Amino acid sequence: MSWTQILNFPFMQHALIAILFAGIAFPMIGVFILSLNLIPLRFAMMHVALLGGAIGLFLKVDPLLLGLLFCILSSMALGPVSEKMRLGVGILSGYFMTLTLALAFILIYKADIHVLEAFNILWGNILSLTILDLIIVGLISLMILIMVFLFFKEIQAILYDREIALAVGLPEKLFYYLIIFMLGLTIAVSMRLIGALLIDAFVLLPAMAATFISRSLKQTFFFSSLFGLLSGMAGLYLSFVFDIPTSSTIILVASLIIAGCFLFRKGVSRREKVR
Amino acid sequence: MHHSVELTDVHVRLGHVAVLSGINIEARPCELISVVGANGAGKTTLLKVVNGILKPSQGRITVLGYNLSQYKNLNFLRRDIGVVPQRSNSIRFPIRVEEAVLMGRYGKIGLMRRPRKEDWDKAFEIMEAVGIRQFCKKLVHELSGGEQQKVALARALAQEPLILLLDEPTTYLDSSAQSEIMETIHTLHHQRELTTLLVSHDSHLVEQYSDKIYLLREGKSCLVK
Repeated sequence: MSWTQILNFPFMQHALIAILFAGIAFPMIGVFILSLNLIPLRFAMMHVALLGGAIGLFLKVDPLLLGLLFCILSSMALGPVSEKMRLGVGILSGYFMTLTLALAFILIYKADIHVLEAFNILWGNILSLTILDLIIVGLISLMILIMVFLFFKEIQAILYDREIALAVGLPEKLFYYLIIFMLGLTIAVSMRLIGALLIDAFVLLPAMAATFISRSLKQTFFFSSLFGLLSGMAGLYLSFVFDIPTSSTIILVASLIIAGCFLFRKGVSRREKVR
Repeated sequence: MHHSVELTDVHVRLGHVAVLSGINIEARPCELISVVGANGAGKTTLLKVVNGILKPSQGRITVLGYNLSQYKNLNFLRRDIGVVPQRSNSIRFPIRVEEAVLMGRYGKIGLMRRPRKEDWDKAFEIMEAVGIRQFCKKLVHELSGGEQQKVALARALAQEPLILLLDEPTTYLDSSAQSEIMETIHTLHHQRELTTLLVSHDSHLVEQYSDKIYLLREGKSCLVK
């Protein structure tokens, strides 16, 4: 089956457009997460969204909207609060994660909310995207690309060592908070659009693969985008041809790329040792 | 002539712990000052106070004539202060030596601006002076501990600072690398007419290079040389 045949279906066209945007831009956020060790933040955002969704259902307000709002507000607050409390963002994310989950469960139980309805906020589907969804993914992707392009040297310094970024006279806090905000925004919005599972495929896995073979931050960004795009497109195609779930197929392809990059690095370091 | 760095009766508390309690240190322009003390004596805290990262609970800190307590944002001053931290937090970050040294220019280049040719020229001139020009294309984490320390020194000097702060620059190095890095620091300190504040636990190593030595003990400082 060819791409032309696949793209006869409008839902596949939408999925492909989303992959073109998210596949290129979202792995850059993955590079931030890995370099700054912010993996707990990604889980915290999921649970914050769940709490927002539960409150939305309780108040009869759009749960998606409230989930997003909660995520955006908490990603704006996390940086300054962690600084004030002298706690790492990772540790504070763990606190947020468990607290919001507990509150969400209490609310779900007491307000008699249907559990699956509340959890719906976490499960998106790349094959059911609307034009509005595509616009949102496109806008966030553009914001990420512009941020990386305009502030590459500031981002490089912060990812290398925040203390050094501060020491050379950069507004380190401002950029660190901006990174956390973009991270929260990306995760919050894409969670509903492409699903919690697929976020990892787009955000973390390509970035992991890129770190194995890159020799500079520019290369890391480039390879992570390339792998994000490759795994997204190959996963979409294969899932359609073999009639298997798209998210899982994309993750499988991304995992294979990681294995390939790891073996490549092993091979290179072995050759260097022989020399 | 004002002192390049002057700390008067400085007290610092971290939570409930009094880390520094009555520090008096002065460094005149072009002096190389060493502050020695055991691990946990508050040496790193002292450097963070001078760089404005930590605020004292009491006392006065003047750097290049600026009273730090009067400024909320000290980025303008930090551009004139080169810092060599004890060890970089980023062990395996993919960055070439030349990029890591160029990073010292980032504050002066300005936001959203790309490094210019003169910034690169400055970075290469410093790499030459520090003796790491031949490693410029290598990744920082591929270098030995001594070479990595020279990269950190080169980055701090690429800022073209007036003041250089060094946090245990010889830790994790073998004795020959320790002497080599101290010689390099000493030479560049004189060549570039820097005011250098160095903290170390090794008083014997720093003695011959220092104009003045302060001993830090139980949160207090006393001049011993």
